[in-house]
Amino acid sequence: MNYIFEGFKFKKKNTLIHDLDPRAKFIYLIMSFISALLFTEPIPLVIIFLTSLPLVIIAKTLKEWSRSMKSLSLFVTFIFILNLLSMTENRLNYAFSMVFRFLALTSAFSVFFLTTTPDDFMSALEEMGLPKEYTLMFTMSMRFVPTLARDLQIIVDAQKSRGLELEKGSLIKKVRNYVPILIPLIIYEIRRSIMIAEALEARAFGALRKTTSYTELKMGIRDYIFIFIVVFFFGMLIFLKIFGYLPEWMMIKLPEII
Amino acid sequence: MVSMTEIVVEVKDLYYSYNSQPVLQGVNLKIRRGEIIAIMGENGAGKTTLIKHFNGLLKPKRGSVKVFGIDTRNASVAELSRKVGLVFQNPDHQLFAETVEKEVEFALRNFGFEEEVVKKRVEWALNLMGLAKYRNRSPFTLSVGERKRLAIASVLSYDPELIIFDEPTAGQDFLQKERIAELLNLLRTRGKTVIIVTHDVEFVATRFERVIVMSQGKIIGDGSFREILSNSEILEKARLLPPQIVKCAWLLSDIGVPRDTLYPEELVRKIEEVIRR
Amino acid sequence: MKIIEFKNVTFMYRGNSEPSLLNVNVEIERGEFILLTGPSGCGKSTFCRLLNGLIPHFYGGELKGEVTVLGMNVKNTPTYELARHVGMVFQDPENQLFLSSVEKEIAFGLENLGLPREEIKRRVNQVIKYLGLENIREKAPYELSGGQQQKVAIASVLAMQPEVLVLDEPTANLDPYSSLELLNIITRLNRELKITIILVEHRLEMLLDKVSRLMLMDKGKIVVDGPPQDVVLSPEMKIVGIPKVIEVYDRLKKAGYEFGHPPLSPEDLAKAVRRVIGFHD
Repeated sequence: MNYIFEGFKFKKKNTLIHDLDPRAKFIYLIMSFISALLFTEPIPLVIIFLTSLPLVIIAKTLKEWSRSMKSLSLFVTFIFILNLLSMTENRLNYAFSMVFRFLALTSAFSVFFLTTTPDDFMSALEEMGLPKEYTLMFTMSMRFVPTLARDLQIIVDAQKSRGLELEKGSLIKKVRNYVPILIPLIIYEIRRSIMIAEALEARAFGALRKTTSYTELKMGIRDYIFIFIVVFFFGMLIFLKIFGYLPEWMMIKLPEII
Repeated sequence: MVSMTEIVVEVKDLYYSYNSQPVLQGVNLKIRRGEIIAIMGENGAGKTTLIKHFNGLLKPKRGSVKVFGIDTRNASVAELSRKVGLVFQNPDHQLFAETVEKEVEFALRNFGFEEEVVKKRVEWALNLMGLAKYRNRSPFTLSVGERKRLAIASVLSYDPELIIFDEPTAGQDFLQKERIAELLNLLRTRGKTVIIVTHDVEFVATRFERVIVMSQGKIIGDGSFREILSNSEILEKARLLPPQIVKCAWLLSDIGVPRDTLYPEELVRKIEEVIRR
Repeated sequence: MKIIEFKNVTFMYRGNSEPSLLNVNVEIERGEFILLTGPSGCGKSTFCRLLNGLIPHFYGGELKGEVTVLGMNVKNTPTYELARHVGMVFQDPENQLFLSSVEKEIAFGLENLGLPREEIKRRVNQVIKYLGLENIREKAPYELSGGQQQKVAIASVLAMQPEVLVLDEPTANLDPYSSLELLNIITRLNRELKITIILVEHRLEMLLDKVSRLMLMDKGKIVVDGPPQDVVLSPEMKIVGIPKVIEVYDRLKKAGYEFGHPPLSPEDLAKAVRRVIGFHD
């Protein structure tokens, strides 16, 4: 189960994909996403899914990616069966397509998050116009996750030391046992957030509508080439679909075996 | 009838690591009933990790810890907590009840005490810590100092034999520290075994008959406050500063003031002796 | 040159029935290094929060009297404006570091002030160099020790180049060595950069020989205010505990030995003792 997350956690590596500007990668993500949602035919969806593979390989993240994909097999089976049961015409074809749509989407997201730090992601969003409050909110949430986990552990330890036994008792008792854990945690974190707010004020947060930025995102030749390829490829696909110029072989449907 | 030299905590060759980082590297320790001990050392020396073994929150990776004769690997935290009270540094990590009274009752109820006993003990603890007048108030409306006293009250209420305080003087003002010292004295007179974890050398000086110093997961010093707090090597290794009086004694050691002078009165006497010569 | 002035200041937090500050009158000159101390609840934190406008803008309540900082009236000046001139460092470093690396943290305040990128870079490098943070500049907050975190907190405020620095119990969570290191840095800021410092602390022993002024508060009032060597001899000192070196000094004085001014550190005391011995020889 844990392996699902492995496919979405940033790992620092020295590869072409890691070095790409996060905005370029974000464009890839968006175009992948749109294309995947547009198509219901299996072959284009398989193609879209396969486009992520070369990126995964160049980024040297094949191990994490494949582990994650493997552990999603449960979801995949579920999607397959569900769609098989619901549609009346061309069931097999549709179920197959939905499976690959799911895989195409998750794979694109995986590529993005495996090769982009949360910070870079936020910088990309900021450059593209997202107000600083939102990116700060996200960055701070991520930064405080380990802190919260530590606080939780201390609280559990403190209450266990007063005789609280979390595993014992009926289901109702077990749920009630979490009150002495959750209340101190919530109040502690509320107090913490007040102190954080004070500190933010002390650093002139909110002084200006438009703040400047210390970190710079600069697009290089590689980024522009990448964006060009991505936009060309997916743009073509989308164009073909919308204006009905899809070639015969792309519209092949699976036989109605089931 | 328990003998005053009964060993209440026995630590044998204790090793513990966290996330494959060694935290305790071979700790050996015997604590007897009635001792009042200060465990000192820099942040990260392993002090808090060590005391968490005394009520079973942590179990040894290697070696053993026996508390009141019970091997901690075979007992639950609840079982051990019945005899070992641990007061955490920050009271806000444990306060949750609707009223001060209910907060103090919590441990007593968890341990299954009878109603009569619960009421009596809560009364005693509230009075001891001067919180009786707040009994029906929400714990969150108390001041920081009062919340700290409440945390202590809720541990003392079930009368554990061994009481451990984690950094009790951190962030406390002078008067609050005096009150803590008085409390420790009271616990001593009642025959309790007390351990405090701290790096407050001034608080420990002249108050703690036994001082244990840790550094990098090992015990590097174990003796009287006089021996330990005037030992520059041990203090430096544990990143502790010498108490003011000791520092002054060191600066005057070349003219005859003994290096292990701990009390102000002592220093005065020694200085007077030197002057008269 | 007066840079901070409190005139008949009384403040009561919203919802309280007692004022936290009662008729406070203080004048602070540029370049002073003030140690503000007193028992819990005496009003020290309230005093501090008036200096950068957290009171009355962040914390509501009734503010009577006038607080003027660098000519700005705190009641009419928003916190983000005062924050340019009055930097504040708090007790828990964890809650002052929001970002994923030290250098981003230091840059944060400057981004908020809208400084151009080149200027931000320059100041970040300057502060990192001054405080010796070069080898941790890319580390995340959770990778740092408490002492390092507080250094970074000071750095992030210092980069904004405030004239005044207020520190509310910055060493409360630190061990003795880290505390001393931090206090030495604060002393440097005062001596080298001429920043006016208001430091709230309980640990007086490490500071008496470094500060220029000691202010003792109790129950919302300033009860003693003056150079440390005068204040330590006042009767009110027992509220915060008489430093051990003063205890020794007192006893020796009572026994008839002439010491001159009271010692503010063990070094001071040792020197004074040698002087007396020299005299008696």
